[in-house]
Amino acid sequence: MTSSSPDPLVRARELTGRPVVTLGGELVAEIKDIVFESSGGYIAGFTLRNPGLFSRSRKESLPWDGVHGVGRDAVMVPDETVLLPTKEFAPRKQARNRDVLDDRVLTDNGQDLGRVVDVVLQGGTTLEIVGYEVEASEALGSAGRRVLIPLPDTIAVSGENLIVPSSATDFVSEDLAGFGAAVDAFRARLREGTN
Amino acid sequence: MLFSQARKHDVVSTATATRVARVEGFVVRPGPARVALLRLGKVSGAGTLLAWDDVQGFGPDAVTVATDAALRPARDELEQRAEDNELDILGKLVLTERGTALGAVTDVDFDPETGAVTMLITKAETIAGDRLIGLGRYAVVVLS
Repeated sequence: MTSSSPDPLVRARELTGRPVVTLGGELVAEIKDIVFESSGGYIAGFTLRNPGLFSRSRKESLPWDGVHGVGRDAVMVPDETVLLPTKEFAPRKQARNRDVLDDRVLTDNGQDLGRVVDVVLQGGTTLEIVGYEVEASEALGSAGRRVLIPLPDTIAVSGENLIVPSSATDFVSEDLAGFGAAVDAFRARLREGTN
Repeated sequence: MLFSQARKHDVVSTATATRVARVEGFVVRPGPARVALLRLGKVSGAGTLLAWDDVQGFGPDAVTVATDAALRPARDELEQRAEDNELDILGKLVLTERGTALGAVTDVDFDPETGAVTMLITKAETIAGDRLIGLGRYAVVVLS
Protein backbone atom coordinates (compact mmCIF):
# COMPACT_ATOMS: atom_id res chain seq x y z
CA MET A 1 0.00 0.00 0.00
CA THR A 2 1.28 3.43 -0.86
CA SER A 3 -0.18 4.88 2.34
CA SER A 4 2.34 2.98 4.49
CA SER A 5 5.41 4.28 2.63
CA PRO A 6 7.33 7.05 4.40
CA ASP A 7 6.48 10.63 3.54
CA PRO A 8 8.72 11.99 0.81
CA LEU A 9 11.62 14.32 1.52
CA VAL A 10 11.80 17.49 -0.47
CA ARG A 11 14.19 20.42 -0.71
CA ALA A 12 12.40 23.68 0.05
CA ARG A 13 13.67 25.38 -3.10
CA GLU A 14 12.18 22.62 -5.22
CA LEU A 15 8.73 23.66 -4.03
CA THR A 16 8.94 26.86 -6.05
CA GLY A 17 6.69 26.53 -9.08
CA ARG A 18 4.79 23.58 -7.65
CA PRO A 19 1.05 23.84 -8.42
CA VAL A 20 -1.41 24.57 -5.62
CA VAL A 21 -4.48 22.42 -6.24
CA THR A 22 -7.79 22.17 -4.35
CA LEU A 23 -9.22 18.83 -3.28
CA GLY A 24 -11.89 19.62 -5.87
CA GLY A 25 -9.22 19.42 -8.57
CA GLU A 26 -8.90 23.11 -9.44
CA LEU A 27 -5.53 24.79 -9.99
CA VAL A 28 -5.33 27.86 -7.73
CA ALA A 29 -1.78 29.16 -8.05
CA GLU A 30 1.88 28.19 -7.99
CA ILE A 31 4.25 28.38 -5.05
CA LYS A 32 6.48 31.42 -5.32
CA ASP A 33 8.45 31.39 -2.07
CA ILE A 34 8.52 29.71 1.27
CA VAL A 35 7.86 31.87 4.31
CA PHE A 36 9.71 30.73 7.41
CA GLU A 37 8.58 31.57 10.91
CA SER A 38 10.89 34.18 12.37
CA SER A 39 12.20 31.48 14.71
CA GLY A 40 13.51 29.71 11.60
CA GLY A 41 12.46 26.22 12.66
CA TYR A 42 9.03 26.12 11.08
CA ILE A 43 7.27 26.99 7.89
CA ALA A 44 4.69 29.74 8.17
CA GLY A 45 3.38 29.27 4.65
CA PHE A 46 3.94 30.19 1.05
CA THR A 47 3.71 33.24 -1.15
CA LEU A 48 2.04 32.55 -4.47
CA ARG A 49 2.10 33.50 -8.11
CA ASN A 50 -0.28 32.82 -10.95
CA PRO A 51 0.43 29.68 -12.92
CA GLY A 52 2.17 29.95 -16.26
CA LEU A 53 5.17 31.34 -17.98
CA PHE A 54 4.61 35.06 -17.49
CA SER A 55 3.25 34.65 -14.01
CA ARG A 56 2.47 37.49 -11.69
CA SER A 57 2.75 37.48 -7.94
CA ARG A 58 -0.53 37.02 -6.15
CA LYS A 59 -1.79 39.30 -3.41
CA GLU A 60 -2.86 36.25 -1.42
CA SER A 61 -0.61 33.84 0.43
CA LEU A 62 -1.12 30.33 1.66
CA PRO A 63 -0.70 30.01 5.44
CA TRP A 64 0.65 26.68 6.63
CA ASP A 65 -2.52 25.72 8.50
CA GLY A 66 -4.41 25.97 5.20
CA VAL A 67 -2.28 23.25 3.60
CA HIS A 68 -3.78 19.77 3.31
CA GLY A 69 -0.73 17.99 1.90
CA VAL A 70 2.63 18.65 0.27
CA GLY A 71 3.66 16.09 -2.29
CA ARG A 72 6.12 15.53 -5.08
CA ASP A 73 3.75 16.92 -7.69
CA ALA A 74 1.44 19.38 -5.96
CA VAL A 75 0.59 21.29 -2.81
CA MET A 76 -2.98 20.39 -1.90
CA VAL A 77 -5.46 22.74 -0.17
CA PRO A 78 -9.09 22.08 0.84
CA ASP A 79 -10.35 25.00 -1.25
CA GLU A 80 -9.48 28.55 -2.23
CA THR A 81 -10.90 30.08 0.96
CA VAL A 82 -7.75 29.14 2.90
CA LEU A 83 -5.74 31.82 1.09
CA LEU A 84 -5.16 35.02 3.04
CA PRO A 85 -4.15 38.49 1.91
CA THR A 86 -0.36 38.56 2.15
CA LYS A 87 -0.56 41.74 4.25
CA GLU A 88 -2.47 39.89 6.98
CA PHE A 89 -0.47 36.72 6.69
CA ALA A 90 3.00 38.18 7.03
CA PRO A 91 2.61 41.39 9.00
CA ARG A 92 6.19 40.98 10.15
CA LYS A 93 8.22 41.77 7.09
CA GLN A 94 11.12 39.95 8.66
CA ALA A 95 9.19 36.69 8.39
CA ARG A 96 9.68 36.85 4.68
CA ASN A 97 13.19 38.16 4.71
CA ARG A 98 14.65 36.38 7.67
CA ASP A 99 14.80 32.83 6.57
CA VAL A 100 17.57 30.43 7.40
CA LEU A 101 19.26 30.45 4.02
CA ASP A 102 22.89 31.49 4.26
CA ASP A 103 22.90 31.12 8.05
CA ARG A 104 25.84 29.39 9.64
CA VAL A 105 25.32 25.96 11.21
CA LEU A 106 27.28 25.54 14.43
CA THR A 107 27.49 22.44 16.59
CA ASP A 108 26.87 22.84 20.32
CA ASN A 109 30.61 22.42 20.85
CA GLY A 110 31.41 25.26 18.52
CA GLN A 111 32.29 23.65 15.20
CA ASP A 112 31.25 25.51 12.07
CA LEU A 113 29.70 22.98 9.71
CA GLY A 114 28.96 25.35 6.84
CA ARG A 115 26.29 27.65 5.46
CA VAL A 116 22.71 26.68 4.75
CA VAL A 117 21.90 26.49 1.04
CA ASP A 118 18.56 24.71 1.34
CA VAL A 119 16.13 23.26 3.84
CA VAL A 120 14.98 19.63 3.74
CA LEU A 121 11.32 19.07 4.50
CA GLN A 122 9.38 15.90 5.10
CA GLY A 123 6.08 16.12 3.22
CA GLY A 124 2.76 14.39 3.63
CA THR A 125 -0.11 15.90 5.57
CA THR A 126 2.33 17.88 7.72
CA LEU A 127 5.54 19.54 6.68
CA GLU A 128 8.43 19.32 9.06
CA ILE A 129 11.91 20.74 8.71
CA VAL A 130 14.10 17.66 9.17
CA GLY A 131 17.45 18.89 7.94
CA TYR A 132 19.61 21.50 6.30
CA GLU A 133 21.58 21.25 3.13
CA VAL A 134 24.84 23.03 3.78
CA GLU A 135 27.87 23.90 1.78
CA ALA A 136 30.24 21.98 3.98
CA SER A 137 33.12 23.54 5.88
CA GLU A 138 36.50 21.91 6.62
CA ALA A 139 35.02 20.37 9.77
CA LEU A 140 33.02 17.88 7.73
CA GLY A 141 36.02 16.74 5.72
CA SER A 142 34.31 17.50 2.45
CA ALA A 143 34.80 21.25 2.22
CA GLY A 144 32.77 22.96 -0.51
CA ARG A 145 30.51 20.00 -1.16
CA ARG A 146 26.84 20.05 -0.41
CA VAL A 147 25.80 17.71 2.36
CA LEU A 148 22.64 17.10 4.35
CA ILE A 149 22.63 17.54 8.12
CA PRO A 150 19.76 16.11 10.19
CA LEU A 151 17.99 18.25 12.75
CA PRO A 152 16.63 17.32 16.16
CA ASP A 153 12.88 17.69 16.73
CA THR A 154 13.57 21.01 18.40
CA ILE A 155 16.24 23.43 17.34
CA ALA A 156 17.79 26.56 18.74
CA VAL A 157 18.10 29.48 16.39
CA SER A 158 19.83 32.65 17.42
CA GLY A 159 20.74 35.53 15.19
CA GLU A 160 22.73 34.16 12.33
CA ASN A 161 23.64 30.84 13.87
CA LEU A 162 21.77 27.58 13.89
CA ILE A 163 22.90 25.32 16.68
CA VAL A 164 22.80 21.56 16.21
CA PRO A 165 24.09 18.79 18.53
CA SER A 166 27.63 17.75 17.64
CA SER A 167 26.44 14.15 17.09
CA ALA A 168 24.65 15.39 13.96
CA THR A 169 27.98 15.10 12.15
CA ASP A 170 27.72 11.28 12.48
CA PHE A 171 24.54 11.29 10.39
CA VAL A 172 25.48 13.46 7.45
CA SER A 173 24.20 12.31 4.03
CA GLU A 174 25.14 13.25 0.51
CA ASP A 175 21.73 12.76 -1.05
CA LEU A 176 18.06 12.55 -0.10
CA ALA A 177 17.80 8.80 -0.73
CA GLY A 178 19.17 7.70 2.63
CA PHE A 179 18.57 10.92 4.50
CA GLY A 180 15.16 10.01 5.96
CA ALA A 181 16.72 7.03 7.75
CA ALA A 182 19.63 9.22 8.91
CA VAL A 183 17.18 11.72 10.48
CA ASP A 184 15.35 8.91 12.28
CA ALA A 185 18.60 7.35 13.54
CA PHE A 186 19.93 10.71 14.70
CA ARG A 187 16.75 11.54 16.60
CA ALA A 188 16.71 8.08 18.18
CA ARG A 189 20.28 8.66 19.37
CA LEU A 190 19.29 12.01 20.89
CA ARG A 191 16.36 10.46 22.72
CA GLU A 192 18.61 7.76 24.16
CA GLY A 193 21.00 10.43 25.31
CA THR A 194 18.36 12.40 27.20
CA ASN A 195 16.71 9.43 28.92
CA MET B 1 -18.37 -1.43 -18.78
CA LEU B 2 -15.50 0.85 -19.82
CA PHE B 3 -16.00 4.43 -21.01
CA SER B 4 -14.00 3.48 -24.10
CA GLN B 5 -16.59 0.78 -24.88
CA ALA B 6 -19.61 2.95 -24.07
CA ARG B 7 -18.59 6.04 -26.02
CA LYS B 8 -20.27 6.50 -29.38
CA HIS B 9 -23.29 4.50 -28.19
CA ASP B 10 -26.45 5.65 -29.89
CA VAL B 11 -29.10 7.18 -27.65
CA VAL B 12 -32.44 5.78 -28.78
CA SER B 13 -35.92 6.99 -27.82
CA THR B 14 -38.17 4.04 -26.99
CA ALA B 15 -41.24 6.20 -27.77
CA THR B 16 -40.25 6.68 -31.41
CA ALA B 17 -37.61 3.98 -31.86
CA THR B 18 -35.33 6.56 -33.44
CA ARG B 19 -31.81 7.64 -32.66
CA VAL B 20 -31.92 11.01 -30.91
CA ALA B 21 -28.23 11.50 -30.05
CA ARG B 22 -24.88 9.84 -29.59
CA VAL B 23 -22.82 9.53 -26.38
CA GLU B 24 -19.76 11.79 -26.55
CA GLY B 25 -18.62 11.85 -22.96
CA PHE B 26 -19.32 11.18 -19.31
CA VAL B 27 -19.65 13.63 -16.46
CA VAL B 28 -18.40 12.00 -13.27
CA ARG B 29 -19.19 13.38 -9.81
CA PRO B 30 -17.53 12.33 -6.58
CA GLY B 31 -19.09 11.32 -3.27
CA PRO B 32 -19.92 8.56 -4.17
CA ALA B 33 -18.20 8.41 -7.56
CA ARG B 34 -20.80 8.01 -10.26
CA VAL B 35 -21.73 9.00 -13.79
CA ALA B 36 -24.05 11.96 -13.19
CA LEU B 37 -24.64 13.01 -16.79
CA LEU B 38 -23.91 11.92 -20.31
CA ARG B 39 -22.59 14.48 -22.74
CA LEU B 40 -24.17 14.05 -26.16
CA GLY B 41 -23.39 14.79 -29.78
CA LYS B 42 -25.37 14.55 -33.01
CA VAL B 43 -28.36 16.04 -31.22
CA SER B 44 -31.27 17.54 -33.17
CA GLY B 45 -32.45 19.94 -30.43
CA ALA B 46 -30.61 22.28 -28.07
CA GLY B 47 -30.09 19.86 -25.19
CA THR B 48 -26.74 18.11 -25.17
CA LEU B 49 -26.90 16.62 -21.66
CA LEU B 50 -28.70 13.56 -20.40
CA ALA B 51 -29.00 13.02 -16.64
CA TRP B 52 -28.18 9.50 -15.50
CA ASP B 53 -31.58 9.35 -13.77
CA ASP B 54 -33.28 9.84 -17.14
CA VAL B 55 -31.44 6.89 -18.72
CA GLN B 56 -33.85 4.02 -19.17
CA GLY B 57 -31.25 1.42 -20.01
CA PHE B 58 -27.51 1.38 -20.65
CA GLY B 59 -27.03 -1.69 -22.80
CA PRO B 60 -24.03 -3.17 -24.56
CA ASP B 61 -25.11 -1.57 -27.85
CA ALA B 62 -27.26 1.45 -27.08
CA VAL B 63 -28.59 3.80 -24.45
CA THR B 64 -32.35 4.10 -24.26
CA VAL B 65 -34.49 7.00 -23.05
CA ALA B 66 -38.29 7.19 -22.77
CA THR B 67 -38.47 10.27 -24.98
CA ASP B 68 -36.14 12.84 -26.49
CA ALA B 69 -37.55 15.32 -23.96
CA ALA B 70 -34.97 13.84 -21.56
CA LEU B 71 -32.21 15.60 -23.51
CA ARG B 72 -31.69 19.00 -21.96
CA PRO B 73 -29.30 21.95 -21.77
CA ALA B 74 -27.13 22.78 -18.74
CA ARG B 75 -29.09 23.94 -15.70
CA ASP B 76 -26.34 25.40 -13.54
CA GLU B 77 -22.74 26.53 -13.67
CA LEU B 78 -21.35 23.08 -12.97
CA GLU B 79 -23.42 21.53 -15.74
CA GLN B 80 -22.36 24.33 -18.06
CA ARG B 81 -18.73 23.51 -17.35
CA ALA B 82 -19.51 19.85 -18.01
CA GLU B 83 -21.20 20.75 -21.27
CA ASP B 84 -18.13 22.78 -22.26
CA ASN B 85 -16.07 19.64 -21.66
CA GLU B 86 -13.99 21.21 -18.88
CA LEU B 87 -14.70 18.35 -16.53
CA ASP B 88 -14.12 15.34 -18.76
CA ILE B 89 -12.27 12.83 -16.64
CA LEU B 90 -10.43 11.13 -19.51
CA GLY B 91 -6.90 12.42 -19.96
CA LYS B 92 -6.99 14.27 -16.64
CA LEU B 93 -4.12 14.08 -14.16
CA VAL B 94 -4.78 12.03 -11.02
CA LEU B 95 -3.40 13.54 -7.81
CA THR B 96 -3.58 12.03 -4.36
CA GLU B 97 -4.75 14.27 -1.54
CA ARG B 98 -1.09 14.32 -0.49
CA GLY B 99 0.00 15.80 -3.80
CA THR B 100 1.49 12.81 -5.60
CA ALA B 101 0.61 12.32 -9.27
CA LEU B 102 -0.56 8.86 -10.35
CA GLY B 103 -0.69 9.55 -14.09
CA ALA B 104 -3.50 10.52 -16.43
CA VAL B 105 -6.86 8.77 -16.59
CA THR B 106 -6.92 6.56 -19.69
CA ASP B 107 -10.24 4.82 -19.04
CA VAL B 108 -12.96 4.40 -16.42
CA ASP B 109 -14.91 1.30 -15.48
CA PHE B 110 -18.51 1.83 -14.41
CA ASP B 111 -21.59 -0.20 -13.58
CA PRO B 112 -24.09 0.31 -16.41
CA GLU B 113 -26.94 -0.63 -14.05
CA THR B 114 -26.31 2.08 -11.48
CA GLY B 115 -23.80 4.48 -13.02
CA ALA B 116 -21.41 3.87 -10.12
CA VAL B 117 -17.75 4.42 -11.04
CA THR B 118 -15.88 1.31 -9.95
CA MET B 119 -12.37 1.97 -11.24
CA LEU B 120 -10.19 4.74 -12.61
CA ILE B 121 -7.50 3.42 -14.91
CA THR B 122 -4.14 5.08 -15.57
CA LYS B 123 -1.15 3.72 -17.43
CA ALA B 124 0.50 2.62 -14.21
CA GLU B 125 -2.36 1.50 -12.00
CA THR B 126 -6.04 1.05 -11.33
CA ILE B 127 -7.65 3.14 -8.62
CA ALA B 128 -10.85 2.12 -6.83
CA GLY B 129 -13.71 4.46 -7.66
CA ASP B 130 -14.53 5.07 -4.00
CA ARG B 131 -11.20 6.89 -3.59
CA LEU B 132 -12.39 9.73 -5.83
CA ILE B 133 -12.97 12.92 -3.83
CA GLY B 134 -12.70 15.71 -6.39
CA LEU B 135 -12.80 16.42 -10.09
CA GLY B 136 -11.94 19.83 -11.46
CA ARG B 137 -10.53 21.42 -14.55
CA TYR B 138 -6.94 20.66 -13.52
CA ALA B 139 -7.04 17.27 -11.84
CA VAL B 140 -8.84 14.27 -10.43
CA VAL B 141 -8.16 14.05 -6.69
CA VAL B 142 -8.20 10.69 -4.88
CA LEU B 143 -7.67 9.63 -1.29
CA SER B 144 -4.08 8.55 -0.56
